[in-house]
Amino acid sequence: MSANIRPSGVFDTSYAQEMRINRTRFDQVLSAGFLGVILALPLLARTGPFGIDIVQPGFLGTVERIAIFMIAVQGLNLLVGYTGQITLGQAAFMAVGAYSTAILLRGGVPFVLAPPIAALFSGFVGLIFGLPSLRVKGFYLAMATLAAQFIIPWLLRNPLAPWTNGANPLPVPRADLLGLEISGLTLYYFLIIMCLLAMLAARNIIRTRTGRAFVSIRDNDVAAELLGINVFAYKLRAFFICAVYAGLAGGLLAIEARSISPDRFDLRNSIELLAMLIVGGAGFSQAPIFGVSLLALLRETLIPSLTPSLQEWLPRLLPFIDAVNINAAIAPIIFGVLMIAFLIIEPRGLAYRWEIFKISWKIRPFSY
Amino acid sequence: MEIFGQPGFAVLQGLITGVLTGGIYALIALGIVIINKASGVFNFAHGFMMLLGALIFWTFFQNQQLAPVVAFVLSGGLLTILSVGIRYPATWTRNGRVAFIAAAWAVIGFILLQTDNLFLRALVGTAIGAALVGLVIERLAIRPLISQPLFTAVMMTLVVGEVLLGVTQLTWGSVDRSLPIFATVNALGLPQPYPPIRIRNVLGGTVVIKTELLIAFGIALVAFVGFVLFFRYTRLGLAMRATAENPDLAQAVGLRVRAVLAVAWAIASMLAALAATLHASSTSLSITMPALALRVFPAVLLGGIESVGGAFIGGLVIGIAEKVGTVYFGSDVGEQLIPFVVLMIILVVRPSGLFGEERIERV
Repeated sequence: MSANIRPSGVFDTSYAQEMRINRTRFDQVLSAGFLGVILALPLLARTGPFGIDIVQPGFLGTVERIAIFMIAVQGLNLLVGYTGQITLGQAAFMAVGAYSTAILLRGGVPFVLAPPIAALFSGFVGLIFGLPSLRVKGFYLAMATLAAQFIIPWLLRNPLAPWTNGANPLPVPRADLLGLEISGLTLYYFLIIMCLLAMLAARNIIRTRTGRAFVSIRDNDVAAELLGINVFAYKLRAFFICAVYAGLAGGLLAIEARSISPDRFDLRNSIELLAMLIVGGAGFSQAPIFGVSLLALLRETLIPSLTPSLQEWLPRLLPFIDAVNINAAIAPIIFGVLMIAFLIIEPRGLAYRWEIFKISWKIRPFSY
Repeated sequence: MEIFGQPGFAVLQGLITGVLTGGIYALIALGIVIINKASGVFNFAHGFMMLLGALIFWTFFQNQQLAPVVAFVLSGGLLTILSVGIRYPATWTRNGRVAFIAAAWAVIGFILLQTDNLFLRALVGTAIGAALVGLVIERLAIRPLISQPLFTAVMMTLVVGEVLLGVTQLTWGSVDRSLPIFATVNALGLPQPYPPIRIRNVLGGTVVIKTELLIAFGIALVAFVGFVLFFRYTRLGLAMRATAENPDLAQAVGLRVRAVLAVAWAIASMLAALAATLHASSTSLSITMPALALRVFPAVLLGGIESVGGAFIGGLVIGIAEKVGTVYFGSDVGEQLIPFVVLMIILVVRPSGLFGEERIERV
């Protein structure tokens, strides 16, 4: 999982160049253009100021959710991709963030404070469930976080029901940032900016001492300990950061959806977040962009458009299938088959593919 | 008489129900342990394999008319299983015994699938179907991952579970079904089961033992002992143990390691189907079956992930903890919280489980 693949002859000539976020001009143009398109999208929608009807308003919601899930997946990337710790509890930490944000907002806490406090709280919950990483790793740690994935929603459903409304949806009040109402267009830009800040923060964490310690723990934790890295402290730090990201994403999801319920944060959502990371390429800082975009577009755009035609011809092809069942069954099948294909064909993900593509484009027509 | 504030008979009731349910849990845990021992993968898809197996059983058990084509296809499937799976040690292939056994089994399967005896038919059909499911998963999803990192393997079993969930929803929908096996066991020539056994005046009340649970526990126990004996005394079992111990060495002495893996998945899938059928027959067959397997994961870890005997102890302990916990705190605590609290405690106190191997790490 090396994020730094370069063809021969390409190297940095100064420290400033090595530390740069966009290393080449091509990268700069590409990321600026991408950001420009994302920022221009709502202006092209029917609900926008110019009344041009190019972008479906529903698509803007998809982009908003992509931005939110990118934050959660970037946190996961720091823990799984860079530190090498498996977690199956990311959705539960999102639930902590979402519910604390909702409860704080309902309690009248100003909007500037609610998501950060919720994210920090979620981080501390993450610390508690990161404690087993002192003794166990690999698959056993996955089991410990699986326990988090069940204990946290249980707490939300039962003992905390007076505050969380139990298994029923909990409405979230309309947010208000320094007199500016956060909804519609402002919500869109707010989420994009939050996502951008989170991505930049992650990118910066990776190139600090902490980030390098994470990578050394991933590559060989015993060797990292021999180098003088306090492995347990850094693992806990990774858990904390991961849960903070998850809590922030959960809080933003609560603000975006205006209503939350525990079944939005169950094990299958955790699996989906992990799947987004793998599709994107664990251990690459661009992983969330690729993974979340692909899987969210698949779930929100492609599968709903496929369903009617499948409902028509699949029962004719296989007579034992009832058309009623197709709606619920098609998403897990397509998602699962796609993931199996990814894990077998390209377990290093799209970001890795993209690096390879850039290299072969740069050094064409030679092969290396 | 009261035990910690609860009437004694209720606690005893929880204890007995816990032990009886624990037998089924042990069977589920055994399937997970077998796969883990053979291929080093912890099977998160086990719950979905259970659901699929139970639904296959239901289909054979309910539908009066099965097209002979289905029977034929399934017999062919069994033939494939045998030719893929049991075609080792090498001596077996040389004298052509495999072909004979496979053909014999296929004929038996074909005849049984044609019979009017629903129970036998369902049994054979499920065995073949479940084994096929296991083999397909192993071949398409698990085998390509040999020598990949652990994270990939964990993820693979999780998404295999998603696919299986989609397939079951597509074919059977998500309605609850009842699977009244024990009400129709007289089709086998056995007597109708007796009404629930009641033990009166114990610790100040009546303890009720559901006959279905008792029979299910008996079958689970027999199956468990059978598999333990199979591992100990047959050549195939010995080969599986050898492969689990050291795949490279097993390959060096001429065992077909890949075939052993395939057989392990087939057996685990059949165990999953058996456990699911037993559980569904004593409660009901619903789409929430996979959650049951999640509750059994603590049992696997408690016993130690490589230990067959540990799977049994773990299953019983989790079963008892669940049911006695239900008596004290209600079923939402007992079934949804206690297994995972136990899991956290095991992981912090003794991660390798009661009978598992301690791992030593070197740089």
